[in-house]
Amino acid sequence: MSGPAVSWYLAVAAFLFATGALGVLLRRSPLIILLSLEIMLNGANLALIAFSRHYGESSGQIFALAVMAVAASEVVVGLGLIVAIARRRIDLDVDKLSTLRG
Amino acid sequence: MIIAAWICLVAPLAAALLITLLGTGISRRAAAYVATSSVLGSFAAALVVLAKLWGESPEQRSHPSTVWEWLTAGTFHVGLRILVDPLSVFMMLVVSGVGFLIVAYSIGYMDGDDEERRYFAYMALFVFSMLALVQAGNYVILLVGWGLVGLSSYLLIGFWHERPAAIAAAKKAFVMNALGDATMALAFFVLIQHRHSLNFPDAFSIGPGHGWLVNLVALGLLGGAVAKSAQLPLQTWLPDAMEGPTPVSALIHAATMVTAGVYLIVRTHAVFEHAPRVQELAAGLGAGTLLMAGLIALVQTDIKRVIAYSTMSQIGYMFLGAGLGAYANAEFHLLTHAFFKALLFLAAGLVIHALAGEQDIRRMGGVGRLMPMTRITFLIGSLALVGIPPFAGFFSKDSIIASSLGRGWYGDLLFTAVLAGTFLTGLYAFRLFFIVFPGEPSPFVREHLMRGSHAHGQEGAHGEDGASQTHGHDVHEHAGEGPFSMTAPVLVLAVLSVIGGWLQFAPLWHPVSNWLEPVARPLAEPTNTQEAVASLLAFLLGLAGIAVATLMYGTHRLAVPRWAFGQRVLEHKFYFDELYDVVFFRPAVGLARLFLRGFEEPFVRGSVGGVAESFRDLGLLTRRLQTGLVRTYALAIAASLAVLTIVFVAVR
Amino acid sequence: MGNVVVWAVWVVAAFSCIASGIAVVSFTNPFYSALALIGNLASLAVLYLLLSAEFVAAAQVLVYAGAVMVMFLFVTAYLGGRADAPWAGGPSWQAVGAVTAAAAILVEVIVVIGLKAGGRLSHEASIDSGFGSPHRIGRLFLTNHLLAFEITSVVLLVAAVGAVILGAHSRASHPLEDAR
Repeated sequence: MSGPAVSWYLAVAAFLFATGALGVLLRRSPLIILLSLEIMLNGANLALIAFSRHYGESSGQIFALAVMAVAASEVVVGLGLIVAIARRRIDLDVDKLSTLRG
Repeated sequence: MIIAAWICLVAPLAAALLITLLGTGISRRAAAYVATSSVLGSFAAALVVLAKLWGESPEQRSHPSTVWEWLTAGTFHVGLRILVDPLSVFMMLVVSGVGFLIVAYSIGYMDGDDEERRYFAYMALFVFSMLALVQAGNYVILLVGWGLVGLSSYLLIGFWHERPAAIAAAKKAFVMNALGDATMALAFFVLIQHRHSLNFPDAFSIGPGHGWLVNLVALGLLGGAVAKSAQLPLQTWLPDAMEGPTPVSALIHAATMVTAGVYLIVRTHAVFEHAPRVQELAAGLGAGTLLMAGLIALVQTDIKRVIAYSTMSQIGYMFLGAGLGAYANAEFHLLTHAFFKALLFLAAGLVIHALAGEQDIRRMGGVGRLMPMTRITFLIGSLALVGIPPFAGFFSKDSIIASSLGRGWYGDLLFTAVLAGTFLTGLYAFRLFFIVFPGEPSPFVREHLMRGSHAHGQEGAHGEDGASQTHGHDVHEHAGEGPFSMTAPVLVLAVLSVIGGWLQFAPLWHPVSNWLEPVARPLAEPTNTQEAVASLLAFLLGLAGIAVATLMYGTHRLAVPRWAFGQRVLEHKFYFDELYDVVFFRPAVGLARLFLRGFEEPFVRGSVGGVAESFRDLGLLTRRLQTGLVRTYALAIAASLAVLTIVFVAVR
Repeated sequence: MGNVVVWAVWVVAAFSCIASGIAVVSFTNPFYSALALIGNLASLAVLYLLLSAEFVAAAQVLVYAGAVMVMFLFVTAYLGGRADAPWAGGPSWQAVGAVTAAAAILVEVIVVIGLKAGGRLSHEASIDSGFGSPHRIGRLFLTNHLLAFEITSVVLLVAAVGAVILGAHSRASHPLEDAR
């Protein structure tokens, strides 16, 4: 069945990516930043799947699965960090976490 | 013979190096003995050279010896070259002989000083430098010796380096000598340019054909001689140099280094004879210094400074002699002066040592009662100084005085000056003797000499100041006048001051003149009549001086009218120091400050500092990138992503 | 007729995808953001299905929405009020720069794709029915893309170990730690 052409999906993917980037750059809570990061990754995944369909190559889907796995691991570690920070009673505000200031 | 000459030169250097390298590995006494024996070895070697040279006929007595070709530039060669001839042997004997006596004296004088090894290393270095100077076979080695004696003088004047006065005096001596070195170097440049050689026989044939050039060379050499010998106008450093230990004053500033100027003129007399005006200038400067120093010595209150001004005055005699062409006479006076001046300094050292470093004669008095041997030797030295027969000074001085007769109006002027100088010599020498030695011991003297044991202060403390070190002397050595190592050289010098003059009695026998004739033929020989007249007049005036001194300072103490203005001028040493301060020092300081503010700070410090500061500012600027905020970094990544995308697309 | 359905489904899915994306970024309360993300993931799964990537869609729901989001919600619940954070702040140029950069990226991507790849994006390849099936994916993982498979599993292992260390370490240095 035919549906929207690949470019429509790509547009959605681009939009998701941009939105996620905006969230990463603008929000101050590490938790929200992680969530925005997920959005970005999903946008990339969508683009991958769309191209995979367009060219009939399954490698795109493989790649997307790998991305998903890596995203999961990254979230694990990120959340671990957030919990560790919270345990030390430090504010969960990336602007305050600036001891690497030169 | 050549080997002996080299041994004579190198032995003290070896001693100096040995003492330096062994450091605290040898005891202080051992260092003293090493130095003393090396100088004794030099003396022995010099005697060997003398013996060998005597055996030859006069025409043969000139042996250069080059060990190493140092520089070669086209036709110009400079080597490590010494010259063995009558003049250099004469000087070698004086330097090593008197040097040995004085270094031996130092064994006792400097005993107990913490830095005794350094002292003896410096003394050995000095003897080496002076020997290099007198044995040099070309101007370069002479200059090397010249500079090294200046260095040794600096090191030894400032030996007690915790004392600011000593350091200042050392610097003053060195800087003034540097002026002389500069003029000498300029003279050498001219010589190199015109004769392409600085070796001794060759450089002398500059000849009359070059006119003003010869005058320039002679002036340059005279400048160096004047600086080294503390003559007018570069004389101000010598009295200050008395801050050094007394043996140093005896060796360097009486017997040897300050006579280097005289040696230079005698050695290079050929050049001077082609520049007669300069030679007359030398004589005139000698006469002027003679009078000036004699006058200043009349008001000095420091025992060593009186003797220092006396040295200045006597070297004026030698300059006079050399300036008039009486080279052998000048050298002979150099020899006798070495004897009695060293004697005076060492005897004064005995007094200073016994009085725990006191040098102010106003606190002394009646020392002779308690130190009879010192009194006698000092008296002998003073009589030799004034030129009373049969002591040494009589024979040497009067020949010089005689040479100034019959030389036209200028000679007569010099003659008058010299005779006045003789009167002054008698006056100041016996003023010193009468103030210090005869009569009742003053309370200060009584306190120091009548006790059995006492602590010694460092010499040169004018009065008791806090910077005293205790020497570890045996108690019984002070019941006498000093240890054997100190009294023996004094006695030897006393004997020499008596008989030393008998080496030459001008009209009758003159071995010294004969010996030096091949090297330095005198310009004119005074007749026997002139000799007799000069001797008689000098003798009478000397006696007159002694008589006046006896009246003023002897047992009768006649009151003398005081001339306040004259007194003040003399006490300020004719205001030379103040003059030089205003004319040279202050403008130099002002100029330096001007450069500092106008050039150094804006340009040099600005550029170097400016570069550094701009880097620092750059760093500060770059530092602002490190905000420590994760979001900023993320923004940077996003922005670069955006930019790079455009770049990649455009490139493709 | 099936075309209209496909388009309709696409529109709904795309719209909810974008809306939930914006929602994730905008909410103050992280709990709501997490929930919005779940919605995002679900819409994405629908889109994947439209693109014949059935396995990936299933994995998306299971792994992402099932595991990852659960983790997020756990942590958010653990943090409680501390997780609330102001919307933004910091240097003003940061906000301006961020918006500019994001917009630039969006525009660039669209332009680039439109300009450069426009021609090639018109003809879809034809696919067979096994495209996107677990069978196909599994075979590819174990043959062509074995390295990727193995590396991904190592990454997961490392992450797990790291999480344990992060969790244990803080517990060891703060023995009296409680929930607050």
